[in-house]
Amino acid sequence: MVDFARVQKELQECNRDFGVSGIKVIPKNEANLTQLLGTIPGPLGTPYEGGTFNIDINLPDGYPFEPPKMKFATKVWHPNISSQSGAICLDILKDQWSPALTLKTALLSVQALLSAPEPDDPQDAVVAQQYLREYQTYVGTARYWTEAFAKASSLNVEEKVQKLVEMGFPEALVRSALESVGGDENLALEKLCSG
Amino acid sequence: MENRSSDKGDMDGEDFPDEFQCCVCLDIMYKPVVLACGHISCFWCVFKAMDTWQESHCPVCRNPYNHFPRICTLMHFLLLKLYPSAYKRREKQVAEEEKGYGHASPQFEDNLLKSQSSEVLDVRDPSPLPKAVPLNSNNTCSGDTFPGEDNITTTNDTNSTVEYKDTNGNCREVLLTDLQCAVCKQLLCRPLVLNCGHVYCEACINNPQDSVCKCPVCQSSHPNGFPNVCLVLEHFLEEHFPEEYSARKESLANIQRGTPSGSSIEKQDQTACSSDLRNVHSSSRSDLGQVHFGVGCDYCGMCPIIGKRYKCKDCVEQIGFDLCEECHNSSSKLPGRFNQQHTQDHQFSEEPPPCLRNLILSLEADYSEDHELSIVDSDNPEVVLRVPDLSNDVSEDERETVASPDSADEDAVFSAALSNNLSEDQGR
Repeated sequence: MVDFARVQKELQECNRDFGVSGIKVIPKNEANLTQLLGTIPGPLGTPYEGGTFNIDINLPDGYPFEPPKMKFATKVWHPNISSQSGAICLDILKDQWSPALTLKTALLSVQALLSAPEPDDPQDAVVAQQYLREYQTYVGTARYWTEAFAKASSLNVEEKVQKLVEMGFPEALVRSALESVGGDENLALEKLCSG
Repeated sequence: MENRSSDKGDMDGEDFPDEFQCCVCLDIMYKPVVLACGHISCFWCVFKAMDTWQESHCPVCRNPYNHFPRICTLMHFLLLKLYPSAYKRREKQVAEEEKGYGHASPQFEDNLLKSQSSEVLDVRDPSPLPKAVPLNSNNTCSGDTFPGEDNITTTNDTNSTVEYKDTNGNCREVLLTDLQCAVCKQLLCRPLVLNCGHVYCEACINNPQDSVCKCPVCQSSHPNGFPNVCLVLEHFLEEHFPEEYSARKESLANIQRGTPSGSSIEKQDQTACSSDLRNVHSSSRSDLGQVHFGVGCDYCGMCPIIGKRYKCKDCVEQIGFDLCEECHNSSSKLPGRFNQQHTQDHQFSEEPPPCLRNLILSLEADYSEDHELSIVDSDNPEVVLRVPDLSNDVSEDERETVASPDSADEDAVFSAALSNNLSEDQGR
């Protein structure tokens, strides 16, 4: 049986310092406190900066004596996060969980994972390979994914592509240009023009 | 459950400081249990957070431990005095939950009208303790007798007290005698809590190098190495009895200066002591045949019991009453951990450890057919063995324990399970 009194308290406390941490947890449905949605800002100085990442949280029956099940609902390009399913490879969400940890501290750890990838213990082998072999490409892709999926303006990516295609550039070229500059429309145009 | 959010109003009425918040349930600690590392949680929170299959770890610092300590009665009564309404609210709530468990946490008499300290601390030797001023709650001191600036007044004689007014204007006094060490009969200084729940000054407990330290009052041994100072309690003492506490610290420092073999050496011993114990434990752990998974000793709290296990034949409680070999052979007469109605004339029988083969077979019984592997016996093709697919099926905890022996052992266990199954099938 989930300790709902504790979950309530956690939610209150976490959302109270939203101003400082930028971390938010809300129930997906008021009647059911086991299905939650967490939100973390991408850490500054990383390819995830500026993005807002949603994380699906599912509390098992044994919570807080069992870890909460967390996975990214927002697509993210990171060696320890599956680019397909959003599954997170993080020890405190598995065998290193402790009941003294909370949803907020767990989300803080996930945020810390974003700024400190562990390519030697990967969840997504493709990303990890890229991280180790072509670091710059990794940074570009991660930034593009942040731009494309983790920003409020993400919806506009298709519009940007549309716009640049209308200017006469081939779509494939437009997409790769956008990706390489992290989704900035003007920089992409510059890149396309310079050839 | 839901009504707790509406209880919020009450909780705001009597807010407790963060240091008395249990890190597990995030509420005020109820029936506090202090681990050897000095961290505190509620009785049930510690119990539920413990790993009954292997070594447990402190939720806060991950310090490993194997024994479930007893409730610290000193802190129990302290919290009850300081925050009566929050504590009573928890009491009701936990009593409600315990109805569902079928067993209860140890009960204490709510003897607020008497002084607890002499009872709680001075079990063996009641004479030299200075008698505390009887505590009259609710009516002795009303708000106007103590017009203290912020509800707290401290006086400076031997019966120094700290008074708290709860929202109704009632006063509860915390006496110096409530916070006394049973050995030196003075205010606790650098308090540490032993496995039995009794509290002493750090300097008042012997730290024998070659064996475990023992409680001076109840004589039970403290098995997890030398305990750490309980910082929450120390901070409380510092804050609420600043003069007395600094005087105590000063005098202890003077004594230690007199004996140069002071704390630095002691510290080394401590770490050596605890690591030794850990080694002992891990070596005995490798002998999985002696581990009684999921069963704890009701006296010393060892969980799971390693070595021989004695089960009470007469206790009817579902949780049972079990002792480890050492406690069974000792003459201690402590109550059980879960309020069992165990008495001295109950009989014990030695219980064999669960055989891994039986464990596996009992697991097998739980699994549905589609998770099983079918193995055809080459000698007798008609006999089809059903073996649980351990690699996918067993939950993580179970798998860890079942699979922890090295691979050779595992094979042996597995073939034992097979042969057992085989003989059963052939018998039919």
